[in-house]
Amino acid sequence: MALYSVRDLRKTYRVGDVQTHALRGVDLDVERGEFTAIAGPSGSGKSTLLHLMGALDHPDGGEVVLAGDRIDRLGRREAARLRLAHLGFVFQAYNLIPVLSAVENAAFVLELRGVGRREREDRARKALADLGMTGFEDRMPNQLSGGQQQRVAVARALAADPDIILADEPTANLDSTTGHQLIELMRELNEERGVTFVFSTHDQRLLDHVRRIVRLEDGRVADGDAPAAA
Amino acid sequence: MRLVISLAWRNLWRQRRRSLVTAGAVALVVLFSVAYFGMGGAMENSIYQRLTESGGHVQVRTPGWRDASSLEDTLIEDAAEVRATVERLASDRLTAPEVVGVLDVPALLSGDVRSRAVPVHGQDWPAAVRERRLGGGDLEGRFLENPGQIVLGASLASALDVGLGDDVYVYAPGGRGFGAAAYELVGIVDLFDPSVEIATAWTSLEDAQALAAPDAVQRFEVHATTLVRIEDDTVADELAGALDDSLPELEAMTWLEVEPSMSILLDSLDPMMYVVSVMFFVLAGLLVLNTVYLSVMERIREFGVIHSLGAGDRRVLGMIATESVLLCLTGAVVGTAGGLGFVAAYRDGLVIPGMEAYYASFGLDPVLYLSIEPVQVAFAILFAVFTALAAALWPAWLASRLEPVEAMRFQA
Repeated sequence: MALYSVRDLRKTYRVGDVQTHALRGVDLDVERGEFTAIAGPSGSGKSTLLHLMGALDHPDGGEVVLAGDRIDRLGRREAARLRLAHLGFVFQAYNLIPVLSAVENAAFVLELRGVGRREREDRARKALADLGMTGFEDRMPNQLSGGQQQRVAVARALAADPDIILADEPTANLDSTTGHQLIELMRELNEERGVTFVFSTHDQRLLDHVRRIVRLEDGRVADGDAPAAA
Repeated sequence: MRLVISLAWRNLWRQRRRSLVTAGAVALVVLFSVAYFGMGGAMENSIYQRLTESGGHVQVRTPGWRDASSLEDTLIEDAAEVRATVERLASDRLTAPEVVGVLDVPALLSGDVRSRAVPVHGQDWPAAVRERRLGGGDLEGRFLENPGQIVLGASLASALDVGLGDDVYVYAPGGRGFGAAAYELVGIVDLFDPSVEIATAWTSLEDAQALAAPDAVQRFEVHATTLVRIEDDTVADELAGALDDSLPELEAMTWLEVEPSMSILLDSLDPMMYVVSVMFFVLAGLLVLNTVYLSVMERIREFGVIHSLGAGDRRVLGMIATESVLLCLTGAVVGTAGGLGFVAAYRDGLVIPGMEAYYASFGLDPVLYLSIEPVQVAFAILFAVFTALAAALWPAWLASRLEPVEAMRFQA
C-alpha cells in the first residue's frame, strides 16, 4: 500500500468573481522511502498539491489518503494532530521562529509533541549535525545564511522523525550552489536513513539527481508520473 | 513548557518599547493598588485608634444597656469585684492593659447664669489612657487631680459662660447619690469637634459615684495602649469571650461591637477599595489588549507556520496567553515591590502636608499608619494575571483560529 494515495484532487481558488483552478484532478502515489520532486512552472499547482497532502487546506474534490486513512476532510484539531504526529514541513521562506536559536527551532516540533527537554535537545542537535550544522546550534536565525536557515528548517522537520517530509520550494530563496547542496543533503537523508521526501521545485537544474519527478502543468500531472533518469 | 515560556518571554521584547510601556502601566496600577490598600489600611487604623481611644478595646456592661431607660438599669454593682476579674483576665492576654471604670451621669450643668443638660463623664483614667483620650486636643488649665474638680469641653464652657477657677453646678436628681454638687472648673479642653466639646464634662469616677451611684459603674473599659493597628488586635475577641464566661451576668463586647455603625463602615471600606482598584485594572487591561493584539497581527505568518507544524488551537491560545501573563506579571512584580516599599516606608507614620487640620477636625490622628493585608497584595497580583488573561483572550482566539495557508501568505 502506498504511503500517500492522491486521487482526482481538485482545488479552485475564488477571489471575487475570478476563479483559479489550481488543481484539476491530480492522481499521485508516493511510496515509503521515496524521494519525489514535484516540478512545474509557477502557478502549476505544486504548492497547492503539497498543502493538500499536508492537511493544511481542504480540496474541492478528490481524496488524499495517508497510510490508509483519508486526510482531506479532517477537522482543524484532527488535521493539526496528524501534521504534528506524521508530517514534516519545509517552507520556501525558511519560516524559522526568529527569537529561537537553531537548536530551539529544530526542537520546536518535539516541544509541541511534549517530548522531554533532554531528549528534545539531543534529537535536535543530532538532526542539526546530520544537516552539517554542528557549531551553529546556538545561533539565532538572523545570524545564519539563507542556506543555513533552510538546513535548520529541514532539521526541524527531521528531528521529529515524521513519516514524510513535504518541502515546498525549499531552494527557491537559495542560490543554485546552496540549493544543490540542500537537495543533496536531503537525498543523503533519504538514501541513508530512509526519510521519505516530497518536494516541489521549478528549478530544472535541481532535478538531475532526483529519482522520481512528477511534472505538473496547469493543475494536472503532465506526461504521466514517470521516474527520472537518476 | 520551558521552551514555550522562553519563546513567550523573547517575543515580548521584540517590541521592547511597547512592552516596557505596557508593563510599566501594569506596574503603576499594581503599585497604585498596593499603595491605595496601604492608605485604606491607614484609614482603618485611624478609625480603630479613634474608637479604642474613646471607649477601650473591650467593654463590660450590663445586658440591654443600649435600650435602658434609666441610669439604674445600666449600673454594675460590686464594681470593685468585677474590676478585679476584668484586670486579671486582661493581664493574662494583653501587655500592660489599663482598666478604666466609667460612670456617665445624666445631669444639668450650670454656671452662674446659664445651664446645659449634659452627661457628666466620671472616670478613673490612668495617665496613658488620658493622653490617648485627649489625643492632639489642647488642654487649658490642668487635668483632674483632686475630688471636686471638673474639666469641660471648650464649647460647653463657652455655653455655660464659665472660665477656669469658676464653680460649675451639677444637678443629677433621681439617683442614689447626693444628686447635686459644685465642682471647680480646672481644665477646658479643645477637642477640635464642637459637637463633641459641647457634651464633654469630665469628673473623677469617685465624684460621679458620689453624685449618682456610690460604688457602681456603668462600664469597665479595657485599654490596650500598645495596640495602634487594627491587624495587631487579635485578642479583643478572645478577651471579650473570656469575660463573658467569667461574668455571665454582664455583657462583654469588643470595640467593634460597641459601635456597630463603625463596623459597617469598616466592612464597606475593603469593597470600595477593590472596586476602585478593579477600575484601574480595566484601563490597564485595554492597554494590554492593544499590545497583545498588535503583537499577534505582526506575527500572523509565524502563527501560520506554528499551526502548520502541528500546534493545535489551544496550544496557540496558550502561547499568547503566556506572553500576556508574563508581560503583566513583570509589571505586577515591579509594581508590588514599589507598592510594598511605599507602605513599608510609611508604616511607622505618614503625615500628608496640608491634611493635618482635616484629620484633626474628625478627631483623627493626622499621622497615618499604613498597613496592608497579604490578601490585598495577593489580590493585586492575581488581578494582574486575570487582566492579562482577559486582555489576551480575543487576540489569542484570533490567532488560534488562523488557517495555516492563509496565515503564511499574509502580508502586513
